Amino acid sequence: MVSAKQALYFLLHPNELRAIAQWKVWHEPVHRRDVTKETPTEKSCFHFLDLTSRSFSAVIQELNPELLMPICLFYLALRGLDTIEDDMTIDIKEKEPLLRNFHNLMEQDGWTFDKNGPNEKDRELLVHFDDVIFELKKVKPEYYAIIKDITEKMGNGMADYALNAEHMNVGVNTIEEYELYCHYVAGLVGEGLTRLFVESQLANPQLMVRMDLTESMGQFLQKVNIIRDVHEDWVDKRRFWPKEIWSKHVDNWDDLFAPENREKALQCSSEMVLNALKHAEECLFYMAGIRDQSVFNFVAIPQSMAIATLDLVFRNPAIFEKNVKITKGDACALMTESTQNLRVVCDVFKRYARRIHKKNDPRDPNFLAISAQCGKIEQFIESIFPTQDPKKIKAEKMANVEGAGMETMEAFFLIISAVSTLLLIGGLMVGIAWYMGARFDHVLKDLDAKLAGTYTKSIVSAVPTTIAHEEL
Amino acid sequence: MASEKKPVLGSAMVIGGCGFLGHHVVRLLLRDYECSSVSVIDLRCGRNRRPDSDGVKYFEADITDAAKLEKIFTETRPDVVIHTASPAAQSNDSVSHALFKKVNVDGTAAVIKACQATGVKALVYTSSASVMSDNKSDLVNADERWPVIRGKEQSEYYSETKAAAEELVLKANRAPEAPKLLTCSIRPSGIVGEGDTMAIYHMINIYRQGRTGVQVGDGNNLFDFTYVENVAHGHLLAARALLLTANSSTIPLDNERVDGEAFIITNDSPVYFWDFCRAVWAAAGSPYGTDHVKVLPRGLGLVLGFLSEVFFGIIRKPPTFNRQRIVYSCMTRYYDISKAKKRLGYKPLVPLDEGVRRSVKWTLDQEKEKNN
Repeated sequence: MVSAKQALYFLLHPNELRAIAQWKVWHEPVHRRDVTKETPTEKSCFHFLDLTSRSFSAVIQELNPELLMPICLFYLALRGLDTIEDDMTIDIKEKEPLLRNFHNLMEQDGWTFDKNGPNEKDRELLVHFDDVIFELKKVKPEYYAIIKDITEKMGNGMADYALNAEHMNVGVNTIEEYELYCHYVAGLVGEGLTRLFVESQLANPQLMVRMDLTESMGQFLQKVNIIRDVHEDWVDKRRFWPKEIWSKHVDNWDDLFAPENREKALQCSSEMVLNALKHAEECLFYMAGIRDQSVFNFVAIPQSMAIATLDLVFRNPAIFEKNVKITKGDACALMTESTQNLRVVCDVFKRYARRIHKKNDPRDPNFLAISAQCGKIEQFIESIFPTQDPKKIKAEKMANVEGAGMETMEAFFLIISAVSTLLLIGGLMVGIAWYMGARFDHVLKDLDAKLAGTYTKSIVSAVPTTIAHEEL
Repeated sequence: MASEKKPVLGSAMVIGGCGFLGHHVVRLLLRDYECSSVSVIDLRCGRNRRPDSDGVKYFEADITDAAKLEKIFTETRPDVVIHTASPAAQSNDSVSHALFKKVNVDGTAAVIKACQATGVKALVYTSSASVMSDNKSDLVNADERWPVIRGKEQSEYYSETKAAAEELVLKANRAPEAPKLLTCSIRPSGIVGEGDTMAIYHMINIYRQGRTGVQVGDGNNLFDFTYVENVAHGHLLAARALLLTANSSTIPLDNERVDGEAFIITNDSPVYFWDFCRAVWAAAGSPYGTDHVKVLPRGLGLVLGFLSEVFFGIIRKPPTFNRQRIVYSCMTRYYDISKAKKRLGYKPLVPLDEGVRRSVKWTLDQEKEKNN
């Protein structure tokens, strides 16, 4: 139910309400799951998808049927891994082999796992993981190989991080470590997805050659999340912001959250935003390689949300005090815009780049670098959708140079023809009137008299009469 | 670059080598290239001069003096000529117009003649990205396919003479008079750096006069400023490419060609015009953010500019504030430099923020020296 507070909010922000209504009413999924034809295990998989993912569930369910089940299962497999990794009640000695071996466990018919702590939010998924395994067996072998490969890589990465005491206790030090971490948690997922898109011929095979574009897609999303969640992570004693960046602004990590250091903290967050923003152009480039509308929507929605979130966190002191989130109205507007085409998504990126530029503060050490990065995004968009065409400009300039003479000539002829037409028609009328017996001699006499001044009086006296008449 | 062998440029001549851009070209020649000799021709060789230990030969000459030019060329026998000489584009009266024509067009013609007469292999000419601008329309991500604006369409006479000179230079490429001479043209946009007494200097003045609180237009217009060392680097990459072409027996493919071509050079980093000003002000010590900034709509700015022109017209002084300035501060003018990146292997050496920092520091240091 809508609370009174919400109602008041939407009363003050009618545009947001409109955006929500627009999305709910007008969004037509490209594909819809056919629930009537689904087996009980398929239904169970979608049930767990809904349960475990807030943001991805809906877009996955609208995917092209060719990739619907593979991507749903890919998500659930990784979510299963995550549920083991996250659970601090499982001893590392038991956890490590589970993570490294997960890609094999998910091949064993009927395998389930119930040793998660009772508070682990997604424990149900692993308790019923046999349903996921059953469905995985039905996936085309070429897709299955991709899912298995990424699950193995991800499991090993998670195990490495779990064993790495430094990472667990101190956090990330260099920018390189930071980006490696983002690679494991997001870049790898991206790699799996790109391989699935290309394998199913729903994306340009060139994306396999330019895997750096895929990497940027993942890095961008993950970095934005890490910036946004800084307060929540701090409360949970986790730190993902690299020391290489924050140590330029404060001496100790905790200092970043002290109210007296707000300006320093903001400058630190600007540097984090700048670091994330450098991926934006490659994300747009990647999306240009998608050939299927449902896949486009699937990749574009999170990207638009990410650039909007970046604008939200940029120079926003609230991120050091609480969780910030884009509003539901904005989210709906972004979803509507992200389910059209690349051009519209480019407009979204340009709009937010300009908003970031507007908030940029000259006193920030990275002021000009941030401005330049926003400029780069605009320039990249120009390179795919140019507003100017040199051929047209050339033609215009030529027309201006040569055309100057032509134009006057044209105008001259136009006036001549207009005047002669008037004269012709006027002449004809006079001629016809005369032929019909009009007394032109009287008119001429009147004219003579007027010129001589005799009629002046009568004209002047005639004027008030007319006005009086008008007043009636 | 230190560990690698430096590329060879033979005997190099920098015309205008004591000027703003020219002396950076000389500096980079000494730093990044292997030259058998480096010589400089300038009107006056007192300023921006290398220490004698660098072995640069300085010749004082007016480039419109063709006979003297040829005599120096015969003496120094350059393989490569970098022609950077040009009067400052600041004023816009008939006296400076005559000077623009004389130095930019006639001077360049004399340089070409001297090159042709003395067997120079490569001539690189400093043009300007402004040759593509009509000073009112936007240039959005423009590249070399955009037309050069000439004659009636070109409202800045300076740009007209730069374009005319560029045309002469490019026509001299493999010309019948000297088929071995290869030429190209570099079009930098908005040069700033140590030795610049225009853009940065003016911007700092605006800060000093407390005029940072006004922004004309919406502030979304992107503009290309280029740090001078990157411009010099672009020139020398072009010179090197011309020499390589001169020494090879085949004519390069059209899409790889450097000779007879023009190249736009920027920092590959367009920034919002007003952000650039603010970065300069911040580097000069401005304590302001953007809270105090009031936006003056472009149309109103044009009216005020016109009134100022009328007022100064009445008191018969050149206006300090005019419509063209308003237009420039609201104009989008940035370029796509893919051609230079691809054919010259150009990449800016110094990022823009570092360039701004250095330029402002130099300007402030200059002032201190003057005051002491």
